[in-house]
Formats: sequence, structure tokens, C-alpha cells
Amino acid sequence: VTPSRVVRRVLSSAAIAGLLATAAPDSDRAEQQPAGAVCPQTAVGRQDAGFPRHLADRGTAYVNVEGHPGEKGLAASRSIVVDPPDGKIPYRRDALTRRQTNYRNRSTADPSLKCYQASVPRATYLATPLQILQSPGNFAIVYQENHAFRVFHPDTRPHFDATDWWMGDTRYRWEGDTLVADVAAITDQAWLDQAGNFHSTEFHVVERYRMTGPDVIEYEARIDDPVVYARPGRCARPCTV
Amino acid sequence: VPRALEQPAGLYPVQIIQDEKYVALLHEAMHDVRIIPTDNSPHPKNYWAWDGDSRGRWDGDTFVVDVSNFNGRTWLDMAGNFVDENEHVLERFRLLDRDTILYEATVTDPTVFVKPIEMRFTLKRVPQEQQILEYSCLEGERSLQHYTDEDGGKKRRAK
Repeated sequence: VTPSRVVRRVLSSAAIAGLLATAAPDSDRAEQQPAGAVCPQTAVGRQDAGFPRHLADRGTAYVNVEGHPGEKGLAASRSIVVDPPDGKIPYRRDALTRRQTNYRNRSTADPSLKCYQASVPRATYLATPLQILQSPGNFAIVYQENHAFRVFHPDTRPHFDATDWWMGDTRYRWEGDTLVADVAAITDQAWLDQAGNFHSTEFHVVERYRMTGPDVIEYEARIDDPVVYARPGRCARPCTV
Repeated sequence: VPRALEQPAGLYPVQIIQDEKYVALLHEAMHDVRIIPTDNSPHPKNYWAWDGDSRGRWDGDTFVVDVSNFNGRTWLDMAGNFVDENEHVLERFRLLDRDTILYEATVTDPTVFVKPIEMRFTLKRVPQEQQILEYSCLEGERSLQHYTDEDGGKKRRAK
């Protein structure tokens, strides 16, 4: 399967206000804080020789992965689609019609409004934080939003035979210092954002998690869907950014 | 708590992931997550939740968890045994052998019970090849309509 798009996000452990609402004794009002609030670094746990535990994407790509203007209370976002270079999802013509319908109906049709789990990669760039659980032989991510979690399984075994999971089935391996996760079996009810960007059951994601600093993970998702997306991959620089 | 762990064997498993600062319980049922800090931190103030707030510590080979801050809306079972927001649970997890955890819980609630309740049951390791599956029941979803009358569901309309 050829990757058709690349989404890249930076997850910073400096923005963990929401998570601290459950983890810290002195954060009675943390639930009301915006996710972008900066917490003291000392409050952040970090595993030796592992990923930081508490992370959040500080952007607002959850509104529209293709970017959106700012408005009161909402910072603008550039497109997080770094390939194709125009930042647009390369929909097939018929699929683009559905995307436009989704957009028009987004105030009622977005599955997250019904508290469905956010799916992959959407869960990663939500306004709410996530926590990485890591121990020898185990890797999982817990997302605050809708208490979704994903257990990452070694890729020595094939994907689970399912097609309708909100958080998909994840198989991973390490490539040097990068965790590479292959995600399949995601339901076609899931959206990529609040703007109605969508996919079919043929959706396939390859995620890459790599630490670029003591408190930062660079997140990259290659997303492919031969049913909905018109173009096979055209990665600007051999599928990495 | 402790209802989440009282699942029939093999029906809805739980995965434990622990590091030096947290023990996390990932329940398949309701995709319920309990993240238990083991850093001697106290319970938060003005915070109430379905799962309450858990703080753990190791007492020799026993993992002891103090659970407080419940929202008071939970039942202990399908029979309607209940607690309110004064519920307090002291859990003890101990390995009996490599595949068995003995689970003990002391449940107190001074506004509901006249004395503490002691619970005890074992948790068995599931085969390695099994994995947690996705559980899609959501908050507020009406799972009750699938229950039979004797399990607490509504009486079906006579046809």
C-alpha cells in the first residue's frame, strides 16, 4: 500500500494541564484550563530511556487538519498535512462531495459529539492530553478524551481480523529510536477532525513516534485509503518529513 | 471499583501495565482506565469520578490501593447494591502464583453501610495470545435494552 499523505504533529509534555486534573492534588480547577496552558516541567514524569509520560498536542488541528483561520477563543492552524505539499487531502471526486456534506452537517454529524472514541490519528491531536504507558514488553497510550486507550502489540503477529473499531488495531516495532506503528481495522464512521474529513474501511495508518527533545515527541502519520483518496503517495522527501 | 474487576472469567479481561511511577489497569469492559500513581501523593480535592481517585503503594509483595472521590452514582453489581459519594475502598492485589492474583477489597461507606464489607476473589491470567478488544458501549448508551427481565432489564412488551 502506498502512503498517500503525511500528517505530522509535535507532542509536547509541557502542556499537560488537562491530565493533571486527575493526577495532581492541587489542580482543582485544571479541568477548566485550556489545554495549551503551560505547566511546570517539574510536574512532568519521564521514564528513563523511554518516552515522556504526559503529552499533549498544543495546536488546534482537531478543528480541521487542512488548517483553519483563527477566531475568538481559537487559535488558527496551518494544515498539518505535509504531503501533498498543498496541505489538502487528495480526495477522489465523489469522496470530495461527501466531505463537503460532512462539513455542512458537522455541528450534528461529527461522531465525537456522540462521545465515540476519537480514532487514529485524530486522538493524537485533540485538545485533551494523553498518557503513554510503557514497561518491558508493554506499550499503550491512554487518551483523556472519552477514556480511550490503545494497546500496542508487537508486529510479530498479524492484525486482528476486525473492521469496525474506533481506535483500530495497532502493531508496532522499533526502528532505532523511532516507534513505528501500523494501524488498521478502523471504522469508516470515524472522522479525522471536526471538519468532516473522513475515510473508508480501507483506511490504513502508519504512525511514527520519535523523541526530538527531552519533552517532545514528533508524531507522523502516513495515511492511505485507496477508496477515498485519489492519489497514491507523493512524499516530498522519501516519506519522511 | 471494585465492580470493574468482578468480571466473569474470560469475559472482559483487564491488562496491567506498570512502571516505577504508575500502575495502570486497562479494562476491556467500558474501555475503563484506572491510572494509579504510586508516588505517595494524596487524593485531589473537589474531584469526583465514576472510578474515584486511586493512590497506590507497595506493602511488601502486596499492592495496596486507596480509592476515594467517588461520584456516588455507581452500583456494586447488577442487583442494585449501591454506594454513595462517601464510598471508600482499600484494595489489596497479591500474586498467589505466576498466573493468579488474589484481590481483596474493603468497602466502607458510613452513610450506607453499618460496617465495612470485605470482598475477596482471584484474577486469573488469560492466555498470552489473547488481547484486549474494543468495547463500544458508551456513557449514556442504552445497553439495558439488551438485558433480560431477570437481569434487570425492562419487561418486554407482550406480543
